[in-house]
Amino acid sequence: MNGAFLSQLLIDGTTTGLVIALVALGYTMVYGIVELINFAHGDIVMLGAMLFLTLIGLLGLDHAGQSWLARHPWVALAVLVPACATFGAAVAWTVDRVAYRPLRHLPKLTVLVTALGCSFVISNLGLLWGGLPLAVFGGGRAPSSPKSVPDLLPTLNLLGADSVVFLGTKEALVLGLCLPLMAALTWFVRCTRLGIAMRACAQNPVAARLMGVNVDALISLTFVIGGALAGVAAVAYATYHGTVQFQLGYNLGVMAFTAAVLGGIGNLPGAVLGGLVIGLVQAATTLWLGSDWTNVVVFLVLILTLVFRPNGLLGTQMREKV
Amino acid sequence: MSAASLNVREVSVVFGGLTAVDRVSFDVRAGSIVAMIGPNGAGKTTLFNAITGVHAPSAGSVHLDGQPMAAVWDRLAWSNLSVTAAAAGAGAAVVAGFLPAWTAATAHAGFAAVSQAFIHSPAVPWAALAGLGLGAAAGVFAWRQSRLTPDRVARAGVSRTFQNLRLFRDLSVFDNVRLGAHRHLGARSLAAALRLPAHRRDEHLARQRAHAALRLVGLDHVAHRAAGHLSYGHQRRLEIARALALGPRLLLLDEPAAGMNPAEAEALIPLIRTIRDHGITVLLIEHHMRLVMGVAERVIVLASGSVLADGTPAEVRADPRVIEAYLGRDEQAAPGAQAASNPTAASRTGADHG
Amino acid sequence: MTRFLRRWSWFLVFALAALVPLIDLVLPARLRITGMLVPVVTYALVALGLNIVVGFTGLLHLGSAAFMAVGAYAFAILTAPCFPIQCGFWPGLALATLAGALAGWALALPTMRLRGDYLTIVTLGCGEIVRELLKNLEPLTKGTQGINPLPPPALPWVTFTAAQPIPFYLLFLALLAGAVVVCRNLRHSATGRAWTAVREDELAAKSVGVRTDAAKRSAFTWGAGLCALGGALAASYSTGVEPSIYDFQMSVIILCIVVIGGMGSIAGVLIGAVVMMGFNQVGVPLLTGLMGGGAEAHPLLDANNWKFLIFGLALILAMRLRPEGLLPAREVRAELHHDPDESDQEAVRAGDLR
Repeated sequence: MNGAFLSQLLIDGTTTGLVIALVALGYTMVYGIVELINFAHGDIVMLGAMLFLTLIGLLGLDHAGQSWLARHPWVALAVLVPACATFGAAVAWTVDRVAYRPLRHLPKLTVLVTALGCSFVISNLGLLWGGLPLAVFGGGRAPSSPKSVPDLLPTLNLLGADSVVFLGTKEALVLGLCLPLMAALTWFVRCTRLGIAMRACAQNPVAARLMGVNVDALISLTFVIGGALAGVAAVAYATYHGTVQFQLGYNLGVMAFTAAVLGGIGNLPGAVLGGLVIGLVQAATTLWLGSDWTNVVVFLVLILTLVFRPNGLLGTQMREKV
Repeated sequence: MSAASLNVREVSVVFGGLTAVDRVSFDVRAGSIVAMIGPNGAGKTTLFNAITGVHAPSAGSVHLDGQPMAAVWDRLAWSNLSVTAAAAGAGAAVVAGFLPAWTAATAHAGFAAVSQAFIHSPAVPWAALAGLGLGAAAGVFAWRQSRLTPDRVARAGVSRTFQNLRLFRDLSVFDNVRLGAHRHLGARSLAAALRLPAHRRDEHLARQRAHAALRLVGLDHVAHRAAGHLSYGHQRRLEIARALALGPRLLLLDEPAAGMNPAEAEALIPLIRTIRDHGITVLLIEHHMRLVMGVAERVIVLASGSVLADGTPAEVRADPRVIEAYLGRDEQAAPGAQAASNPTAASRTGADHG
Repeated sequence: MTRFLRRWSWFLVFALAALVPLIDLVLPARLRITGMLVPVVTYALVALGLNIVVGFTGLLHLGSAAFMAVGAYAFAILTAPCFPIQCGFWPGLALATLAGALAGWALALPTMRLRGDYLTIVTLGCGEIVRELLKNLEPLTKGTQGINPLPPPALPWVTFTAAQPIPFYLLFLALLAGAVVVCRNLRHSATGRAWTAVREDELAAKSVGVRTDAAKRSAFTWGAGLCALGGALAASYSTGVEPSIYDFQMSVIILCIVVIGGMGSIAGVLIGAVVMMGFNQVGVPLLTGLMGGGAEAHPLLDANNWKFLIFGLALILAMRLRPEGLLPAREVRAELHHDPDESDQEAVRAGDLR
């Protein structure tokens, strides 16, 4: 094992990890404020990726050089990323408004089962979406099969053509999307009035309401932010991994939720840390044991971590009031 | 079972930077009734929580009948630890050697070949070693985390009630109390599933204990109502019954009269005496001064996390520091938040006596 | 009197269920229903197992398919002709159930201290681990190809063939009746009360001496055992196992049987199984016919591609309109329909606004 090998592992792991972390942030924010595992969140990412692929098809970006936009992929991305983010935010807001909000006062399990229902509905919508007769979907004859996403960006090594370590434009795109977003989110939650209100609401909704905070609006805002992050994650995922399938929501969602739990659920830096750990574990497992074993190893890491730190890596012990 | 003495030695409880209980020591003689009073936030309930293992004390030790409670748990933990480590090691070895052995077996090789394949699998010793280490580490960790748990304290014969009632509201009164008898039952689920005689004996015992406890607190006439539907005073009594069904040697009552009207509170005096006469040491936190002065043989005053005074009711009542601690709080105390357990009300009753 | 009546009502239900195949004698072959009822019975068994963990003990478990898989694969490995053991149906079934119970116990061992959603994600992860292991441990599980054929049940004077589901149905129904008896016995025992106590208030349970870790472990063990039994029976009926069956959707479907039927209620779980599997077995093919779908039609006209949309919407609506399920247990209904004013008063009286 040499340095180049290890750096490649780090790059691959960090890139997958950051996409997972972006999704995990959505889970952890929603959990922090309404204590709900929003199972539909992963599927919102999937819908975002479907929209991304559809827009690529509609704008003709799958035929290189055919249109002005296709010749300027960075401009195209600058349009597509906000579009997917808005879409994700809209879906997340709708899900909360329609399905979760009427159940706020009911026990957690009721809302959780509703979330599972939403997840099924959305992933099924993704399946049907994949059946639309579009060229990018292979004509829609096989809705459940994976659809490949055309490369928008040129394949080139940013570290130089003769470098052993590969850092391509896709990796750069993922880094360029995820890191600023995470920084912005941290700033928002730490420094803005809304962010502080959100944290207060997560700690004690009753007290926050008594202080004049509009808790329902804040919860909606949390879903909207989470959804927007999911939309961006969808673009990052689809570009980086190159395929989209209706089951993507479950697979990515489970990894992201695992990341959130690993880092300590409700804790934003924890979600990012958890995502990175999982990305690196995945990359290392794929290299040494083969991709068949990634899920086994990831979940073993999760269980072992929780045995020793029952509240996750950065989570704090919750003290029950007696 | 006879009453137990309690010795609290230099116990501190620290939350983050806040010292809620600061090196508190006191003794409760076996078979006595001792009351603990003090302004809100003095650390009384925290001390109860430290004694019953809800929060591990940051320092100090608690002795039941002269025996440090922690020692019992340590012995138990060591056996658990070795079992965990051995099981993990053996398990890992079996897992590692399994596939080669199985492959040999599916090839219809003889028993000798199968065992050879298992033994010569290179992964087996490594897996065994790793499993042993991991199991030991997990055992140590689990032991460090779990030695002070409320269920172990309860099973050692210390039961308690809660300041904010913690009944199983949706269960019947009878089932609540039957749960209190749990530590005397085998709880062998296989026997229960198949309705074996061991299960019948358990049920009979639980029933008897529950009825006895309900009779003692005078709730046998409501045994089949849901606990949450009882009046507040009855719910407090039910918590006492549940704690009694456990067959404790030491009973900790956390504000048993909170929320009761004066008549209900006075009625607790004979009940607590009866409990003591059944061979149970009683330590209670209470703000209701008429109750405290009527029932306690000794009073411990806690203020700001440490013991301010400790003596007979008469001594404590005359102690100027106690009066100051209460009256000093009086000016700052926000009225209304806790009508029944309000320090102003408490100190006023205290002043009446003094 | 009511208790007596209730016992007999169960007997009546199962007697009627046993008579259902009589309908088939008069119906044309196309419309026979017994074949569809066999999965209802096996899923009901699995859901009864999950109900012990989720309904009785209140631990959210999202990996029940894993224990089904353990049962099915243990049964397959022990009985399939392509493997050396071939111990026959009944020993295979018993050992598969034991293997499931052991797996449940082993999962519970390191995870019982985890709170709420941490436990949920671990059970989910456990489901994923089992599924991947089934795919990856080729020599043992034959990977994605799966193991078949598996032997049918063996009883004197009865032959079990795939063409004739009635014997399967009656035998499985008898086993289901046994499982119902076991569940009822467990629930009305010290073990069952300990489970309820854990669900209602874990700290209160601990402080009355209930060993909550042990209670959760026994819930996981019994639950996993029943799941494994159901999985093994399903495998025997379908004469083969493959890893892709036991995915997350399976776990969720089983959870939904429990939740839609009524958590903690045995009768509710059975009704939930009828409703859910009825939709899957009867509703979906019917819908495909109505939509004009078929092998040559566009995939969007196949109701299988709409199944989870309908199912998800049904779940959302069910939670909105009847969150306690179709036939809820008494305590669960009480929990969902507390008068909000009453609980507010409680909180204020207890001096705690939260």
